[in-house]
Amino acid sequence: MNQFKRLKLLLLCLTFIIVFSFEAFAAKSLNVPVNYYKLPNGLKVVISEDHSAPVVTVAVYYGVGCRIEPKGRTGFAHLFEHMMFQGSENIKKFEHTKYVEANGGTLNGSTRLDFTNYYETLPSNRVELGLWLESDRMRSLDINAENLKNQQNVVSEEVRVNVLNQPYALFEVLDLWMNANQNWYNAHNFYGDLKEINAATLDDVKAFFKSYYVPSNAVLTVVGDVNSEEVKVMIEKYFSSIPSQPTPVKPDISEPVQTKEKRLVQTDKLANLPAIALGYHLPAQNTPDYAAMVLLNIILQGDDGARLYQRLIKQKEMALSLNGGINILIGNEFDYNGPMLLTSKFIYKAELKADTIVKEFDFVVDDVIKNGVTAKELEDAKVRFRSNYYDQLESTFGKANLLASFALFNDNPNQINVALDKFEEVSLDQIKTVAKKYLVPENRTIIDRIPEKKEGK
Amino acid sequence: MKIYCSKLILQILLIINCLLIPIFSANAQQKTPPPPGSAKPIKLPAIIEKKLPNGLTVILAPLPNVPKITSVLTLKVSQTADINNHPGLAQLAPYLINEGTTTRSSQQIKEQLRSIGGSLSISTNSDSTSMTASCLSEFSSKLFDLMSDIIQNPSFPEKEVELAKENSIQARQLQRSNPRFLARKEFQKDIFGQHPYSFVTADEKSIAAIKQEDLKTFASKYYIPNNSLLVVTGDINPDIAFAEVEKAFSSWKLGTQQIEDFFVIPKRDKRQIYFINRPNSVQSTIYLGNTTIAGKDNNYFSMTIANSIFCGSFYSRLTTNIRENKGYTYSPFSINTSLQQSGYFLTGASVRSEVTGPTLLEIFYELDRMRVLPVTEDELSSAKSYNNGNFSIDLASQAGLASEISNCYILGISPKDFIENFPNKINAVSIKDVQDVAVKYFDTYHCAVVIVGDYEKVKDQIKPFGDIILYDIDGNVIPAK
Repeated sequence: MNQFKRLKLLLLCLTFIIVFSFEAFAAKSLNVPVNYYKLPNGLKVVISEDHSAPVVTVAVYYGVGCRIEPKGRTGFAHLFEHMMFQGSENIKKFEHTKYVEANGGTLNGSTRLDFTNYYETLPSNRVELGLWLESDRMRSLDINAENLKNQQNVVSEEVRVNVLNQPYALFEVLDLWMNANQNWYNAHNFYGDLKEINAATLDDVKAFFKSYYVPSNAVLTVVGDVNSEEVKVMIEKYFSSIPSQPTPVKPDISEPVQTKEKRLVQTDKLANLPAIALGYHLPAQNTPDYAAMVLLNIILQGDDGARLYQRLIKQKEMALSLNGGINILIGNEFDYNGPMLLTSKFIYKAELKADTIVKEFDFVVDDVIKNGVTAKELEDAKVRFRSNYYDQLESTFGKANLLASFALFNDNPNQINVALDKFEEVSLDQIKTVAKKYLVPENRTIIDRIPEKKEGK
Repeated sequence: MKIYCSKLILQILLIINCLLIPIFSANAQQKTPPPPGSAKPIKLPAIIEKKLPNGLTVILAPLPNVPKITSVLTLKVSQTADINNHPGLAQLAPYLINEGTTTRSSQQIKEQLRSIGGSLSISTNSDSTSMTASCLSEFSSKLFDLMSDIIQNPSFPEKEVELAKENSIQARQLQRSNPRFLARKEFQKDIFGQHPYSFVTADEKSIAAIKQEDLKTFASKYYIPNNSLLVVTGDINPDIAFAEVEKAFSSWKLGTQQIEDFFVIPKRDKRQIYFINRPNSVQSTIYLGNTTIAGKDNNYFSMTIANSIFCGSFYSRLTTNIRENKGYTYSPFSINTSLQQSGYFLTGASVRSEVTGPTLLEIFYELDRMRVLPVTEDELSSAKSYNNGNFSIDLASQAGLASEISNCYILGISPKDFIENFPNKINAVSIKDVQDVAVKYFDTYHCAVVIVGDYEKVKDQIKPFGDIILYDIDGNVIPAK
């Protein structure tokens, strides 16, 4: 921390000028056009025109993710996502992909904590194709046992390539969540146990579709070089006749307060350097504490000038890499809706012990608890956060993701234009307070992951 | 009362919907895809090319989609520059130039970046070194100042050099646990032989031998403006941005261009399996391919189409076969990479150990099918739309546009011509063109077949496909039983 103190004097002079220019900048408000309404069957619709390039993204977000899946069927929400590409009433297996690509587009789907999304980005004159495709699978999934078996194999290979055949096996997400949380919905294996993935039946698939893939549990978002009024007519044509169904009742996903530090050690057959992951429970998204934690995260580990990086990698030369943040690897600060962890993962030098890393980590955190952060650090963190937010607004898909999340979780896609405001208001005192409140051992889980000893070495 | 009322109405609506919809829906959903709306012209970005007196080429391409800018400085300095004297130096130097300049410490650079919402990273590849940076558009001049300082005045502080060397040696160890890295490194070695394109990373010994003085000499000799391009895209006014660039970069001194030795691209004489034994693997990671064409080659567009049809897009032949029909894999892929002097075609997949042999069989079948039989009209026209559409999606992002322009510069192509003529060139490819390049480059006779996996589990499945050279994880040849 010495470097910080040395810089302080110099920074004080700079702060005035910089703060001034930020104020001027922050005054520029965002103006993403938002056209929001609901169909009688409950489907939420968001249309946002953007004429900067002749492309359009059509995205459907269903309010079910890997957090809420049937017990005894871990990995099912994700397996189900694959089934949505296996055919519907008028579109045969894999034809969805064919139509999109043959018309110049790209497509994908993903299963996140609290939603599953399906989207295509197309040349904008093909918007109607995207709407037809998405409406057909919302209305009528048409799959058979052979397709299910095929995708169980494909998903098993996905788990192998991304988890089981990789060093560290995504332990900073999968294992950390399973151990840090107590409520099954937050504490099960999100990618899924291979046995449970392969035990899924056609009836499971049908029941899940019927319960969760209903119009009132979904948001349709269209962003790009289109005319809103024309798109509305198309949406009416393809989506309004989809029957309404009861909206699924959400289970209680709240997480009891953790009162004692949890620590565990795992061995890794494929890694050759040790790693450590730390996870702290975060406050709810709609609280001022959350905004402060988001900015504190940037100050601690938001880039390679950040405090944890500087201390553990540059000054102490203990760790080789640091990956950390909120909703890491599966999303950002806005596209989830429930309990969340603040995570840090270090790969560190073989001759060190995990305790040494934890000690240095605590040194950095304790300094914030005791002395807070500088005004310059906080202002810069706000700029960094704003800049990262703009990155999300750059593509039609990035905008669709935020609009759909705000509509799905808060029934208010207009938040896209004001989401930054509460971060601008965070004060130095708040940073100190949240550090003291949340970055304490009782609130965290630590996993040390060490390479299994190899024979003859 | 109001609440009750609206609830009641809602319930009635729900009931009506339930009753009506099933009757409607038989006719409601259209059975066939809707026709396209009227085609909109591809919006070509304005590309303004200028030159500073010191020889630095500057390209400005406004793309005001968000209030940010992206700037890429590309130098014609490959990761193997000066490799005969100092292997690894051309990779270590760029890693270190933003760890301190004559007037800024490493930490000051990072803090200044954060204060402008900026990011800056430097990477090297077989042909070039590039610095990719972005920031909020109102701070553009500060970003140019930083980029210019980093490229002109790196100080290579002793402490930073030692740390970078140490971490880079540790990183070697880390990379050895990653099956895809192992496969990639072996593949490049097998297809490029003695050519510098075979180089992926230097060994520990070479890195340890690099000295601070070597880095300083290298930077001043190789990082010169008259061998470089600066691209600026994003929310810019071209005149103002150019003035800022001029101010920041005109102090960069003209240098002497270094002539690299010319190497011949080797020709492989047979198909060969290179197996890296990685015990405890639950999958075989397969990488298969051979050298192809340079980026300037007239066949570039035919190769692009052929690659899309084979496995370069999602709805492609190999994906349909080994993923959607057989369920062997999640992630089949193929790429055609075009470099300055050559290129390579690479295909592969990670598959569960039990189906390693059957997967090789299907990959060879699909490659041969591309060579022996013409693709269909439908496949050809889909591949054309796919490439044109994706090109315009790519040009809609600041990073995508900047990287297309930078690639052209490295390959010796005019960015303006390439971007403007892309659709015409793609549309001109014929079925015969596709088969011609497949015959030449979808090579099943001389290709390198790299497999990273558990040898004991899969050896009997792969023996029928060719001779095997077996390596341990550290690259030592071990007897293949």
